[in-house]
Amino acid sequence: MAVEFSKESKAHFEEILTRYPKKRAAIMPTLWLAQKDFGYLSHEVLAYVAELIEESPAFVASVASFYTMYYKKPMGRHHVQVCTNLSCALVGSDNIVNCIKEKLGIGLGETTPDGKFSLDEVECLASCGTGPMMQIDDDYWEGLTTEKTLEILEKLAAG
Amino acid sequence: MPKLEIDGQEVEVANGTNLVQAAEQLGTEVPHYCYHPGLPVAGNCRMCLVEIEKMPKLQIACNTRANEGMVVHTKSDRVLRARESVLEFLLVNHPIDCPICDQAGECKLQDYYMDHDRQESRIPLESKVSKGKAIDIGPMIMLDQERCILCTRCTRFLDEVTGTSELGIFERGNHCQIDLFPGVMLDNPYSGNVADICPVGALTNKDFRFRTRVWYLESTPSVCPGCATGCNIDIHHRSGEVFRYRPRHNPDVNSYWMCDEGRLSYKRYQGEGRLLQPVQRAGEDWQPIAWDAAVGRFVDVLKGDKRIAGVISAQSSNEEIFLFDQLVREQLSGQVAGHSWSPEGASSDELLIDGDKNPNTAGLTELGLTLDARKIIDSALAGEIDTLVLYGTDLTQVCTVEEIAELGDKLDAAIVLDLRYGPSLEIADLVLPIASYAEIEGSFINRQRRCQVLGRSMEPTGHSWPGWQLLTKVAGSLGAPSHDSASAVFERIADKHAAFRGLTLAGLAGLGAPLGGATSGDG
Repeated sequence: MAVEFSKESKAHFEEILTRYPKKRAAIMPTLWLAQKDFGYLSHEVLAYVAELIEESPAFVASVASFYTMYYKKPMGRHHVQVCTNLSCALVGSDNIVNCIKEKLGIGLGETTPDGKFSLDEVECLASCGTGPMMQIDDDYWEGLTTEKTLEILEKLAAG
Repeated sequence: MPKLEIDGQEVEVANGTNLVQAAEQLGTEVPHYCYHPGLPVAGNCRMCLVEIEKMPKLQIACNTRANEGMVVHTKSDRVLRARESVLEFLLVNHPIDCPICDQAGECKLQDYYMDHDRQESRIPLESKVSKGKAIDIGPMIMLDQERCILCTRCTRFLDEVTGTSELGIFERGNHCQIDLFPGVMLDNPYSGNVADICPVGALTNKDFRFRTRVWYLESTPSVCPGCATGCNIDIHHRSGEVFRYRPRHNPDVNSYWMCDEGRLSYKRYQGEGRLLQPVQRAGEDWQPIAWDAAVGRFVDVLKGDKRIAGVISAQSSNEEIFLFDQLVREQLSGQVAGHSWSPEGASSDELLIDGDKNPNTAGLTELGLTLDARKIIDSALAGEIDTLVLYGTDLTQVCTVEEIAELGDKLDAAIVLDLRYGPSLEIADLVLPIASYAEIEGSFINRQRRCQVLGRSMEPTGHSWPGWQLLTKVAGSLGAPSHDSASAVFERIADKHAAFRGLTLAGLAGLGAPLGGATSGDG
């Protein structure tokens, strides 16, 4: 097997298993853990997870394919997700998306050539009162203007 | 044993029976896609919705147990409207490519659309989600993702029956599709079954597709000749040609399934290489000879005070084996042996595939034959035999090429009765073509000592004769009572052999029956 969990992740995986009556039930947290460890869920990683939880690779891949938050291709270091659902759209999320596209030079679902940013539009992130908004990695950025958005991106690009 | 009412008719069913099966007992079909009696219930297609009194919503018949006092309606207006809607949903992204689909004619989407839907599609063709077509997913199976209704019969079969789980449902919503994990093929010994159970044209059999339209085919119940398991099958054929085998349900033998090796075994019995007419040796060449003359010659060779021996293969039916044994051993006081050969390393498993690649080895032993063909060859090589009769027996499975040549020198005469050209013809003086198992009435005995009936699907190929007919004619010419049908031969077997007592060919039709008496081995 080409891929293998780090020692810490292995311990974490064992802990996950203790939460469920069957190994099969541990599929989602294990995939999440694998994504954290390997960046995205390649075929090798999916096969590795299948082996860990003693299920078929087809089953693991089918679960992974159901959820958009499991990445099936390599992602940039920062994942920019802009809400374009109704409330944000009414207060100008289109402008935010366009400004990011222009700044990064990529379209939706794409990653910058330097591997720093990936851009996606997403459905409601439950921050309707403070739209337009976006999520970058684990953080929410709310009440966006184009200026504020560019400032955030520049800071991240520098950091 | 709950009693319930379905469409106004009362029916009593076994505990645990679901409503699809309960309705079936009354001859009522509740339309369904995902439900299959050989697989766990999934309940995802929603096609089998029925109305049950005192329940506010329609229920799926496949996952509802029949209960005492239930009043079920399978044809009420609510049910019919629900079916129409379910079909419309199932057809939302269907490409409607029936004219180029091999499932046409045995497609449940077509059938139920005509029975329950018959409305114009509200989805224009160009706005349907398109997916993969004609994807080669394994040695037996072609996948069309657009035609799939996601019933999961195939994935459940691969999860539960073979345990190989090659297929899964990928993506979500409109984009859901059956697919393989990258780098894996659907290649297991039972993969052909997924095309049988696919209710639509999503999974089709690569060996069968586009060779004929299914409505031209006739179906004859029979038994797979591929190994000693004797899976029950339907032979689908047309104008003397077999197009495919389909497994036929027999809970005691093969459930609903058969293996791929058996499924393709029909090819051995047709096409190039079949013997088409009687021939006799004329120096280096073969000379055609009319049947009457051929039988006459056969009788002449057997007559007189000769040392005769016969070998008959385990590919032969009980009726052929019995008559052969009667002729050679009883009537002519010769020696007889059965011949049951399987190639080195023949496949076998715990499910259905038996390592004995002969359908009737048990028939040989039940009818009192030894399986020691080699002993007869040794006698012949020692010059102790004048005339050798080979019935469906390939000599290269018993002796070396040099020995075959030596046999030719030692024997006065060798008669070969066979389906196909083969190495045994090397030493033959007279060759009589016999009909294949699909062209005769008869029976096999499987590894469980179960006697099962062969259906006569078609006329014998060329000028070949059914073996029992030829043998009874020869025996008759030598003074024995003759038989006018395979059933009559079977009656004689039942007279002579205690294990067959009480059985008849007609009575065995369908699922067959175990032989009586002591079981030998795994019965």
